[in-house]
Amino acid sequence: MASNSSASDSPDRIKTLRAKIASELPNVDFVLGYGRGFDPLHATPVTVRTEKDLDRLIFDPTCVQNLATSLYGLRGKRLGVVVKGCDSRSIVQLLQERLWERENLVVFGLPCEGVIDLAKLRVTMDIASVKAVRFEGSVRDGKVVLTLPEGERELPSAGLLADKCLRCQHPNPLVSDHLIGPEIEPQGAQDTYADLAALEKLSTQERFDFWKRQMGRCIRCYACRNACPLCVCKHVCLADSREPHWLSAEATLQEKWLFQVMHALHLAGRCTECGECQRSCPMGIPILLLKRMMNRELKELFNYQAGVSLEAVPPLHTFLMEEDRIKDRGLLW
Amino acid sequence: MVDRFLKDSDLAAVTAAWARDFRVLAPVREGAAIVYRLFSEDMHPFLLRPPTSSAKEAILPQTENLFTYKYRKDQDDLTRTEVFLAEALPPEPTLILGPRPCDARGRHLLDRVFLERGVIDPQYKAHRAATLFVTVACTSMQNTCFCHWTGGAMDDESGSDVLLHPVTIGGVGGFVAHAVTPAGEELLATLPEATAPMLEKLAERRAATPEPEPAPDLSDIAGSFLAMFDNLDFWTDQSARCLSCGVCTYLCPTCSCFNITDENYGMSGRRLRTWDTCMSALYTLEGSGHNPRFSRAHRLRNRVGHKFSYHPREFPEAATAPSGLEFSCTGCGRCIKSCPVAVDIRQIVLDVLAAAAEKAPDKVGGTK
Repeated sequence: MASNSSASDSPDRIKTLRAKIASELPNVDFVLGYGRGFDPLHATPVTVRTEKDLDRLIFDPTCVQNLATSLYGLRGKRLGVVVKGCDSRSIVQLLQERLWERENLVVFGLPCEGVIDLAKLRVTMDIASVKAVRFEGSVRDGKVVLTLPEGERELPSAGLLADKCLRCQHPNPLVSDHLIGPEIEPQGAQDTYADLAALEKLSTQERFDFWKRQMGRCIRCYACRNACPLCVCKHVCLADSREPHWLSAEATLQEKWLFQVMHALHLAGRCTECGECQRSCPMGIPILLLKRMMNRELKELFNYQAGVSLEAVPPLHTFLMEEDRIKDRGLLW
Repeated sequence: MVDRFLKDSDLAAVTAAWARDFRVLAPVREGAAIVYRLFSEDMHPFLLRPPTSSAKEAILPQTENLFTYKYRKDQDDLTRTEVFLAEALPPEPTLILGPRPCDARGRHLLDRVFLERGVIDPQYKAHRAATLFVTVACTSMQNTCFCHWTGGAMDDESGSDVLLHPVTIGGVGGFVAHAVTPAGEELLATLPEATAPMLEKLAERRAATPEPEPAPDLSDIAGSFLAMFDNLDFWTDQSARCLSCGVCTYLCPTCSCFNITDENYGMSGRRLRTWDTCMSALYTLEGSGHNPRFSRAHRLRNRVGHKFSYHPREFPEAATAPSGLEFSCTGCGRCIKSCPVAVDIRQIVLDVLAAAAEKAPDKVGGTK
């Protein structure tokens, strides 16, 4: 039903991916990869158990999901997983925190030029009318050709790339057993946190009003929490606890906001900014801003970025008598 | 009832006039989402695309105060506690603008659960009686739409009070407003009558609208589902991608499950009814700690089974309902469109049918 093609979806690469996965099938329970979803703009995670499932595998800029999210819920199995550069950082973090065992994981790493953000497309058109998608040229500065009922429409792909791709420093998977396709040079711009700066220009009251408006749409579906590869408490989350009763069941602004603050704080020093929380939100609430705010602090305080080194210890998982960047206020020990 | 005309440029003013008599919920664009907000004069309702959320919130609010309570200790005998209850206020007259025919049909399915199953739910009944649906007919089907699988259509009137048919004539955009109920007719009383050319134009457009792909034969689905019930490998593969979040159920116009909790504040509190979701592990978590639906596979199976198997079996008369609603689904497609991992309930239904046919080929046709 879908007719996608793109530079990164080269037949050779998919062939290699299928062959590598086929070679590992006897060693794993199943492999999580990408298949085509209900339309050409949507990919959907698929399980590959046998060789006949291999045909379903795809890889192109619609493969937005972070498949590492499913891992924690499948503990106890031996799995294969297909990752992009950004997704591999979640794996690094899961391994660092001993939330998964390296020997039970086979990682198929795909260097990635970028994925598209459907929210950016959705503000310009009714994406449900798209019949086919073609990616022409490079993912970063080529074009996306959409077949619509009224004819073809071309858009520069740069305008549709997810924000995380525009500042991506790790297009190549940081952990992988099978690296598929040539490695690529990072093309992302240095992260200047311009989005946070724009928000911080507002007065406290204006910022509060901004969040009131945004959080007013929240339906408390917890897609943000469940899509987070590192939010491993899932259904034993504080937000669902009746005893102690941190959050009420009512869908008020206060409860919605409290949960987001909690999520951001629990992810401090762990969040790799894969952006799945924000992408999964059906109401388009920009909750990644909160996590980026925490990450910027972490960078300033501890010079730390989550999920880039298997050997590193997340700063909030350890304790140093003296931190380089934290003044001890002249206290003597 | 004569059809009337509502010009695009009059929409805000007409809505404002309705807002004098009703609490009006109207869809507005906020970023990539289209959400219902309480209407205010500075708002322009956005009716061009189906709202992200369903209209369910108008008659089954996400949070509903059932009553408030207060305990008082008897000062002379501290073993005695009195409790005082105060009923919730009755709902305000409400008008929801901008639902689609699939949303309006959802009212019939909520009615079955809250009014027609032997026990009448007073809160729901009050909301239902106080709420008018001013529905917008669809002019095309999105690729997630499948209302015709469930007996619906782009211009189905069932469940609406007013149906607005988009029409453009002589460069002027607007709606041919068709009253479905007397209450709907009252809403439209001050609008000018639709002219003959407008009605012709509308009839032309409706005639030119392409028919959707024919719906599959679902007459075996209730039985096929039961035949596949115990095949956990099937459900594990269907659900391995599922995040177990509540998007599908909370955006669904027909999902009716709720939770009841007491929110205590010292010696007083409120008893609330809030939406619940069968996708959550907590939904069936028992006091003992046992959970009969402990995996995502069990939970996704429940969602599909409830809509396409348990519901028609619980309401056998549904098969011949005038609304055509045999299943607990109106085919709005929100669960598909907004799912973060693109789970497609249509595909699951088709897979169930195919897998059940493969399992017992001779039984197909007689499993219902």
